[in-house]
Amino acid sequence: MDKKIYGLLAEFDTPTQLVEAAQKVREAGFTRTDAFSPFPIHEMDRALGIKRSILPYLVFAGGVAGLLTGLALQYYVHVIDYPIIVGGRPFLSLPSFIPPMFELTILFASFAAVFGMLLLNGLPQPYHPVFNVPRFALATREKFFLLIETVDPKFNYDETRSFMQSLNAQEVFDVDE
Amino acid sequence: MINNRFDASDFRAPEQIGRWRTLALGIGGILSAVMLIMMLLFPEQRENALRAWLLGFIFWCGIGVGGLGILILQYLTGGAWGVVIRRVVEACSRTIPILAILFLPIIFGVRNIYEWTRLAQTGEDVIINHRQPYLSVEWWIIRAIAYFILWGLMAYFLNSWSRRQDEATTYDEAAKPLADAGKFSGPTLVFFILVVTFASIDWVMTLDPHWFSTIWGFLFVAGWGLSCFSFSVVILAFLSDKAPMNRILGKRHFHDIGKLMLALTMVWAYFNFSQFLIIWSGNLPEETVWYLSRMHGTWGIIGILLILFHFAFPFLVLLSRDIKRDAKWLALLAVFILVMRLVDMFYLIGPNPRIGQHGHEVPFYFTWMDIVAPFAVGGIWLWWFLGELMKRPLVPINDPYLENAIKHGHEH
Repeated sequence: MDKKIYGLLAEFDTPTQLVEAAQKVREAGFTRTDAFSPFPIHEMDRALGIKRSILPYLVFAGGVAGLLTGLALQYYVHVIDYPIIVGGRPFLSLPSFIPPMFELTILFASFAAVFGMLLLNGLPQPYHPVFNVPRFALATREKFFLLIETVDPKFNYDETRSFMQSLNAQEVFDVDE
Repeated sequence: MINNRFDASDFRAPEQIGRWRTLALGIGGILSAVMLIMMLLFPEQRENALRAWLLGFIFWCGIGVGGLGILILQYLTGGAWGVVIRRVVEACSRTIPILAILFLPIIFGVRNIYEWTRLAQTGEDVIINHRQPYLSVEWWIIRAIAYFILWGLMAYFLNSWSRRQDEATTYDEAAKPLADAGKFSGPTLVFFILVVTFASIDWVMTLDPHWFSTIWGFLFVAGWGLSCFSFSVVILAFLSDKAPMNRILGKRHFHDIGKLMLALTMVWAYFNFSQFLIIWSGNLPEETVWYLSRMHGTWGIIGILLILFHFAFPFLVLLSRDIKRDAKWLALLAVFILVMRLVDMFYLIGPNPRIGQHGHEVPFYFTWMDIVAPFAVGGIWLWWFLGELMKRPLVPINDPYLENAIKHGHEH
């Protein structure tokens, strides 16, 4: 084997076949896997053993950070840097601080959601080896694909290839690096 | 037959409900008798008894009328949660007649609970004299009757379309009432919110003869919606592990209703804070007096408790996906929210000036009747509600969206 490959890609005709194959691949102990389908398949997460995203916790942390930033900003401005008496209120008047604190909570939580999402899913990604397989273009139309990467600790070219063929795959492709 | 899988006889309420019903009537009947005795035979306790009755009435009225609001809302939005919650909120909406009867003590005792009725009689107060065209006892009673008639009509139309759907034999016959209810619900939601606004102003806000707030109606729209969602979660969680609803309800149904509870918890806090911030910033004596009596002493402690346990605690707990998806935990939290709803009503009603005491601060008070009255009103209301719940199948059996709604509940 002289040319370097990224992994093996199996093509399926139906979502049911894909889910069944994904289940068997996970049961065989593969972890560096991925599935491609023209539409979301609800059972896929469990079939491939994909864990729940940590994104909600990032968003929560972002929200808390925004809340504290809003408080700190106003405290610095109104109490430390430039205290002015407005309407006879104390410098530290929490009720009037709450709307900006709320706004910054939303802003920071939104930032955490957008940038956390990009960080976790690795987008934008200008190059991915699976596109080296010409038939992979059908993943956006009518075909279903399952990928096992060579970096998987259980990966062995000949064994994995025959294993994937045994999963009712239409065809198994080498994915060039 | 439209759906061979769904037959009305398979979706009768479980038999335990009949026993619960008798129990509710027993407790409600005895406690209501105690409350009536306190109102009629102990003149020095009459005002406290009426205030406690109003507390209980507004709390349960919030669940019944809130159910009508959610019924209107789900016809407008659609969605699986609306299909599975529909029969519970329909039963809530059919409690309007018993709510009207439970309101009678307030109508007969109006002069013993609302200070403005005394001021209107003596003519000593300039502001009340100015408000005479609106704040007169006769006109107040006519309006109260009008509110119940308007709510009753809304509930009547929506429930009769729903019955027609149950009796349908073809797909078209089943789809038509749904479309009619949808068309009716748009303009009706506007009127519903207006009626709630006027009712909440008449029944609770005028306890303080001078004070006013323009966001008042929305405090009740949000609060009553939250009350009824919480109550429905308790009922659905109770039904979810018994036949026939164990075939219908899935985790995702509770997840969706939990999300709506989270939204309404935030909306409740948002409206309350809006009212507070504007009055606090404006700092005008005619407005701040309401908060002054509620920010000190024991009343002030209750205010802090409301911020912590009516908003912060349910908000943080409801952020959790696992709790929203677990019927038992969500129902437990819903009971907690219902208790806080009652505390919130006590906070709105309690510190208002007593008859003949206008202009004086009200020292903290709490009587045994404030506990008994919510159970008295609630027992009778629940007896009626459970009876209505048993009258119809627990799901809209002919609804074109029913099968999708069931499937949705069991998706990941």
